[in-house]
Amino acid sequence: MVRFKSTRRRALLIIAGSALGMLAAATAMWVVYLDRLVTREFQGRHWSVPARVYAVPLDLYVGAPVGADDLEEELRRLHYRQGDPAAGPGVYRRQGGDFDVHARRVRFVEELRESELVSIRAGSDSITDIRQADDTELPVFRLDPLLVGSVFPVHGEDRIVLSPADVPPLLHAAIKLIEDRRFDQHHGVDPYGILRATWANLRAGHVVQGGSTLTQQLVKNYFLTDERTTRRKATEAVMALRLEAHFSKEEILVAYLNEVYLGQDGERAIHGFGLASEYYFAQPLDELDVGKLALLIGLVKGPSYYDPHKHPERARARRNLVLQVMADAHLIDAAAAKRAAATSLGLRPPGGSYVPAYLDLVRRHLRRDYAEADLAAAGLAVYTSLDPRAQAAAERSLTRHLSHLDAASRLPAEHLEGAVIVAEPNSGDVVAVVGGREVGAGGFNRALDARRPIGSLVKPAVYLAALETGRYNAATMLEDAPIELKLRDGSIWAPQNFTHEIYGQVPAARALAESMNLATVRMGLDIGLPRVADTLQRLGLETRPTLNPSLLLGTVEMTPLEVVQVYTSLANGGFRARLRAVRAVLDERGQPLKSFKVQVETAAASTDIYALDEMLTLVMTRGTGRGAATRLPPGLIVAGKTGTSSDTRDSWFAGFTGSYLAVVWVGYDDNRVTGLTGAAGALPVWVDTIASLKSASFQPVRPELLEDRWIGFGDGLETTPGCSEDAIVVAVPLGTVLPRKAACGPSPSHTMIDKIKAWFKTTIH
Amino acid sequence: MVQDDHSLRRLAVALTTALIVAGCATSRVASGPPTSSPSAQPVPQASPQPLPLPTAPTPPPAVRENRLSPATGSLVTQARAQVARGDLPAASSTLDRALRIEPNNPLLWIELGKLRLVESDAHQAEICGRKALALASGDRRSQSQAGRLLADALRAQQRNQEAREVEKQPFMN
Repeated sequence: MVRFKSTRRRALLIIAGSALGMLAAATAMWVVYLDRLVTREFQGRHWSVPARVYAVPLDLYVGAPVGADDLEEELRRLHYRQGDPAAGPGVYRRQGGDFDVHARRVRFVEELRESELVSIRAGSDSITDIRQADDTELPVFRLDPLLVGSVFPVHGEDRIVLSPADVPPLLHAAIKLIEDRRFDQHHGVDPYGILRATWANLRAGHVVQGGSTLTQQLVKNYFLTDERTTRRKATEAVMALRLEAHFSKEEILVAYLNEVYLGQDGERAIHGFGLASEYYFAQPLDELDVGKLALLIGLVKGPSYYDPHKHPERARARRNLVLQVMADAHLIDAAAAKRAAATSLGLRPPGGSYVPAYLDLVRRHLRRDYAEADLAAAGLAVYTSLDPRAQAAAERSLTRHLSHLDAASRLPAEHLEGAVIVAEPNSGDVVAVVGGREVGAGGFNRALDARRPIGSLVKPAVYLAALETGRYNAATMLEDAPIELKLRDGSIWAPQNFTHEIYGQVPAARALAESMNLATVRMGLDIGLPRVADTLQRLGLETRPTLNPSLLLGTVEMTPLEVVQVYTSLANGGFRARLRAVRAVLDERGQPLKSFKVQVETAAASTDIYALDEMLTLVMTRGTGRGAATRLPPGLIVAGKTGTSSDTRDSWFAGFTGSYLAVVWVGYDDNRVTGLTGAAGALPVWVDTIASLKSASFQPVRPELLEDRWIGFGDGLETTPGCSEDAIVVAVPLGTVLPRKAACGPSPSHTMIDKIKAWFKTTIH
Repeated sequence: MVQDDHSLRRLAVALTTALIVAGCATSRVASGPPTSSPSAQPVPQASPQPLPLPTAPTPPPAVRENRLSPATGSLVTQARAQVARGDLPAASSTLDRALRIEPNNPLLWIELGKLRLVESDAHQAEICGRKALALASGDRRSQSQAGRLLADALRAQQRNQEAREVEKQPFMN
């Protein structure tokens, strides 16, 4: 019995002992596992850093079309503050047209520029002088590239990673003071902190203090989920201890500052102090004053509860408490704390430079070369062709005119939509993209995805194809007369002019300027549809259009972006520049990964393009685009073409100056009739966009094989401006024989009365 | 092997740089009043003066002389230094900047074409030559430099016959 008992006891002891042993072994294995995990993950830690996207930096030089007010606007866009430039980078002082600017340290595609002091003098519309601090002249100086966004994953983390050197000493000290006073003493877990917190919570009857160290918070954010269980608490504590065993306090603190969650911007989670500084204040962290720094430190406790946008009073109270604690600990002096507590929160104005339609184009270009995961996490820097001035001008023009057009429409409940793209035709650089009237919202990007019939935008290609045969020139007489065609399917096609008039014999230049359908169809059928399709493809259309006679009137469907590609060749002397949104990609250390060079191909002979372009300037002075003249800067020479699809469903305008090409589409998303021609809908948007940009006139160099000649716009006969009121200049091959206006004597008369007198004289004699 | 590639490449870059610098030395315009940009020059388009009747051959185009502005001149100097360092992507990007300032200056397209030759992209060099030639109309000096570039680019593509035809053009001497 006894014996039996003792045997049983011994067995129990053995079982208990081995169970304990196994538990200890399991615990040890668990600790070793966590240790390995912490070491491996943390050592090879790779912050998920989305690609940052930058606009083209603005080059300043003597003569640059940037007035004093433009320069100040530009500095503000880059969040330079007015003040004493000696105080540090990011500050400027303006006196009249004189600016002293302390430029920031910035990375450009080619180089890293250290911060420097420059003096810039600007007149009312251009730069007149640029000097360095030592008074030497600078031939060219560029401002910072504007950060316009990042390519972050949906529901993704966004951050700007700080290195230890980037952490301001005050932040270093203050974060410990507020979040973990004994950070420098403990080993990852702070028993005193836990006791203190427990005591405080017991006294209050609910949780008022957390006992977590910075290390525990980091572990929680970095490795663990947000569940509140004892097991997780234990894991957190063990991992914190192991982390402290392997890494320095400095490494842990900097990692914490990069990891911590500090706010939400729609789908974007704001992580780390670097990004939070940009997000809330649009300033680099090292430029923040003590009040702004205190606001960010205060946010750690509860980014949504203290959200300064939604709850400014709470945020302000929290900031002032942090300031008070900092002053009590003598990190700052009491007077400075008091001054900072009296200031506003200093948040950046809402909205700003968010350009979803342009970023969409950037993303599509980058997808050819990069995996989505790299874009979202590899910390790339993407330098684009975006020009913030052009982007702002295009956005403003589109939204303003669509509102006007809606108000004037017979369907005021319906909302017109539109798209604008602006490009530099020489390089193919796309400088602005507006994908719809809600410019700040993402969604359907009409600039890239709305594929619509282009109407008369196709005509320049038809006339170019005709010039290329050598049988037509700008003065060739065309017949604008009714035509009926039996199509392959047996139906009859009988196009009409938009005005329903018939013009008879007209010079080609006038037929294009007034967008005559009948003359164009007759000429197009004469040269043949394949030629027209060839020309369109050479200009940049990627897919071959269907060879239907209605191609001549623009039934071919294109997106605004495709129209831009085709018109690039017209605006660039017959050279087709491949459209470019991304110029270069640098890796996270600033090393170049890839650059996208200007790529140009020959699309048409410079003689043919010159002759065509001169006709396209006539569109703007005498033709369907003449309404633009009074609203453009005086003397600015522009070229372009209106387009209207059947029943006015789509209103188009494509046109260019010496500096920019812009394409505008206006219509309804459901393809309803708008009642708007290209001239009534899209042209005003185009004019407004171009007028607010500083542009050179479109003045190509005339090829030596062409000469300028005067002909009558109406009758096409060679004349002089004195002889005919409607004399126009056309470029024709040297020595072209043109029929002359018979009534023109050597001393041309100017008025109708003079002409009648002259006629009487000749008949009486 | 890699080392060899590097030194060969560096040698090629150095040689071509020397060629570029030598070639461009002649492009410097020594005298004359400074003009800001070629686009500021008058182009006889839609001028109000009536042309004489009957048709006379178009008078020779106004004498034009393209030159670099101080801004684009300094960028070209910078680009050449970048080429000399072997940093071709940076040079390309610097010339982009210059072209954004003066997109219609044939001298910049010539410079870009020479860089494309250094990069062994003879096709793009050829296009730059053609573009420069079109912009240089009426400026003999720029025309002959553009023609030189074009002929070099054609030769680099083994299109010797076309290169010889370019060299026979009247503006080439």
